[in-house]
Amino acid sequence: MSASDLPILLPAYGEILLLVLASAILLVDLFLPERLRGLTHWLSLATLAACFVLTVQVVRATGGQAAYTFGGMFVADLMANVLKLVVYAAVAAVLVYSRRYLAERGMLRGEFFVLALFATLGMAVMISANHMLALYLGLELMSLCVYSMVALNRDSATSTEAAMKYFVLGALASGLLLYGMSMLYGATGTLDLTQMAQVIAVGQVNGVVLVFGLVFVVAGLSFKLGVVPFHMWIPDVYHGAPNAMTLFISTAPKLAAFAMAVRMLVNGLIDLAGDWQQMLVVMAVLSMALGNFAAIAQTNIKRMLAYSTISHMGFMLLGLLAGVVGGNRFSAPDAYSAAMFYTVVYVLMSLGSFGMVLALSRAGFEAEELDDYRGLNQRDPWLAFLMLLLMFALAGVPPTVGFYAKLAVIDAVIKAGQIWLAVVAVLLSLVGAFYYLRVVKLMYFDEPRDAGPIAPGRDVRWLLSANGLAMLVLGVMPGSLMALCLVAVQGLYPLAR
Amino acid sequence: MLENYFPVLMFIAVGLVLGGVLLAVGRILAPHKPDPKKLSPYECGFEAFEDARMKFDVRYYLVAILFILFDLEIAFLFPWAVVIPDIGFFGYAAMMVFLAILVVGFVYEWKKGALEWE
Amino acid sequence: MNELVATLAGYSSAWFGPQWGPPVWVFVKTLVLILVITLPLFGCVAYLTLAERKIIGYMQVRIGPNRVGPAGLLQPIADAVKLMFKELIIPAGANKFLFVLAPMLTLMPALAAWAVIPFGPEVVLADVDAGLLYVMAITSMGVYGVIIAGWASNSTMGFALVCVLLVSQSLNLSDIVNGQARGRFAAEGLNFLSWNWLPLLPMFLVYFISAVAETNRAPFDVAEGESEIVAGFHVEYSGMTFAVFFLGEYANMILVSALATIMFLGGWLPPIDAPLLNAIPGFFWLVLKIGFLLFCFLWFRATFPRYRYDQIMRLGWKVFIPLTIVWLVLVAAWMQTPWNPWQ
Repeated sequence: MSASDLPILLPAYGEILLLVLASAILLVDLFLPERLRGLTHWLSLATLAACFVLTVQVVRATGGQAAYTFGGMFVADLMANVLKLVVYAAVAAVLVYSRRYLAERGMLRGEFFVLALFATLGMAVMISANHMLALYLGLELMSLCVYSMVALNRDSATSTEAAMKYFVLGALASGLLLYGMSMLYGATGTLDLTQMAQVIAVGQVNGVVLVFGLVFVVAGLSFKLGVVPFHMWIPDVYHGAPNAMTLFISTAPKLAAFAMAVRMLVNGLIDLAGDWQQMLVVMAVLSMALGNFAAIAQTNIKRMLAYSTISHMGFMLLGLLAGVVGGNRFSAPDAYSAAMFYTVVYVLMSLGSFGMVLALSRAGFEAEELDDYRGLNQRDPWLAFLMLLLMFALAGVPPTVGFYAKLAVIDAVIKAGQIWLAVVAVLLSLVGAFYYLRVVKLMYFDEPRDAGPIAPGRDVRWLLSANGLAMLVLGVMPGSLMALCLVAVQGLYPLAR
Repeated sequence: MLENYFPVLMFIAVGLVLGGVLLAVGRILAPHKPDPKKLSPYECGFEAFEDARMKFDVRYYLVAILFILFDLEIAFLFPWAVVIPDIGFFGYAAMMVFLAILVVGFVYEWKKGALEWE
Repeated sequence: MNELVATLAGYSSAWFGPQWGPPVWVFVKTLVLILVITLPLFGCVAYLTLAERKIIGYMQVRIGPNRVGPAGLLQPIADAVKLMFKELIIPAGANKFLFVLAPMLTLMPALAAWAVIPFGPEVVLADVDAGLLYVMAITSMGVYGVIIAGWASNSTMGFALVCVLLVSQSLNLSDIVNGQARGRFAAEGLNFLSWNWLPLLPMFLVYFISAVAETNRAPFDVAEGESEIVAGFHVEYSGMTFAVFFLGEYANMILVSALATIMFLGGWLPPIDAPLLNAIPGFFWLVLKIGFLLFCFLWFRATFPRYRYDQIMRLGWKVFIPLTIVWLVLVAAWMQTPWNPWQ
């Protein structure tokens, strides 16, 4: 009966703070008078900033080493902390970008912020999970919040339909994932990912059950990542959700899904790499092909970016599948860090491009058709330039960071000896370049159709500028972020020296 | 251990059988002369206005969900309450955190009017 | 008595052989014990109806039934016979299977829960460790019969019972009773002050009020509301189908009173630790306490006007749930301190 009974919670300080502050914001918002409701926005940003700072302090206190708590269910290694920092920053950017959009549509309520913060908490738990149950808990916390965010605009039939589809398919995917987890548990007798890796390494496991479980787990993972053949929800949900929610689900959750893939496949099942890498090859090629070709046919920029997400996630998988070559893990840190770098960069690009959609939206106007971008250069040259940078980055045009991210992944694939895969990836990226550059052509060489005012707030303008220019800056100097990803991945348990 | 539950199982069976027997007694002893008017639904002498299998008000679902929520909380509290001396301050604190989160949700639903019936 | 049991067991082995004898004997013994519990229970239900009519009659300055037998004592028998000879009507639009199943589903839990109720020290049919959980599980099946009013009250009952668990640390009903024989006042012979009702007084009240609501009794009988919706959900039940419903509901009433007695009023324990009172069998005290609680049920019916549905909801959600959560936290904290009266 003393405080010494308590486990050492240091690795989870950031999540605990987030939970406490999110609950506090829920209550504060409830009792605030109507005219002070704007305060919730700033409180949420302050919460994210506080969590950011605290996470940095946790990194300092642990010295970048992996620290475990809650009986090994929760790990704070460098990869977790880096991804969490990006998540906090990304969610903060989402809140800034979407404020005006939500306010104009009457959705700027406490529920939005609280759901966003709890979803962030879910992502943080997913990122730090070292146990199947913790992983699932985080996943469900995030997913349930995101489902309800998509449905936040209750009067819109398309939003409700999107949320319904998302929920039903998401529940199906969770079921697959759980089924896979239970199979893995049956085969290895543990849900702890570290122990699972050890049990499999010893080799006395029923291979059939294990591979069955693996198939289901990969299916569940691919749903959350949104890669073929579990991509069907992405276009409908991106299109149907309010723009601000599309921005949210296309950014931070991708980091969490990446972390989930790494935790499951690398931390837990790296000895089965031969099996899951083959599945990833198929999914990656199909995703890139379907995403890029289907995006060409879209006239709605949200749908176009949705298909582009599918292709980008497929591309990211190339990094994950190039890690282990013939049972040899020497090149794994390079390959996984390339995938991590790609994910982080993709989140930045997605943040910028959907941020632009939000910046151009106004009351009664969603700016979601490609035609709405015609002649943007004449209406606002600076925003057009930023959009140009973002589109170049998504297409992978040098000197933007998109080029460097693609280069790193393809480099890893070539090192793994899969030349044909690298060639396919490059060719499909060229197909993708077509529709990104079409947006640039519309902005610079066509006459404007829409003559409404473009009035994003000063904070949005600054953040968007920083976001767009980051494409250029990181593209010229990718070294430090790349190095950070490499160190982070090297800290993963199976790869640690 | 498990044989303690045999009488429980039997009691359940006997409960069902007794119900069945009583109904059978009524069926055997009582007269049985149905006619259409007698078998029509009771509606104070009117023809039935509508089918009894109608849609429920959505508020019932809300209440049902809240009820399930609280019932589940209790399912967590039961084992905790039984072993509280053995789990020390950490067990106590963990459940208090759990209850605090529950209370936050409760305050929210109260303030949002989910508990108002009219 | 033990000799008789041994002889009977011997007969069983002789008739059915050494392999099948003992199981058959267990089966027969259990069946007999079940009937020993169930049949008197039916009798209690019958005379509870008479008691209800008499007591409410006197409370309303009437005499109540007094024609059949001396002082109306044969009235329940007459009622039972009448119900047996009434025609069973199954409305044309009804699903026959469900229509017949519903009364059975009301009766079954109300009977089966008695399997774990201790009638005295060591006098219990199935002394299972998870007794309370079993009772909660099986009685919540009764909600399927009558869905609406049970909801809010069921949750608060759960919370109230968690407090009892906190102080007794067992789900076994006999252990819960025995736990109430310990404590500061019990050491001085004043047993009744050590029972759970005093330290957990708010929970006792919450539990009992919830129990009234759970059994659809006045003033919470919105599902039946004789004067408003002509007996509500069982308006179309006649003859024995009605009787089975009726049996189930009254057996349930006796059950929740028995539970309240075990949880809060010290079960079979005598109120004061005196030789004279200890000489009286525990079963008598148990029946006395259950009888008192049943009298309260009738008293409430004669006294309070019916609550509206929204008022019940408000009482359950906005009064009882906050109250029980606060009390739960308090009791748990109290137990962490050295001033714990339950050690």
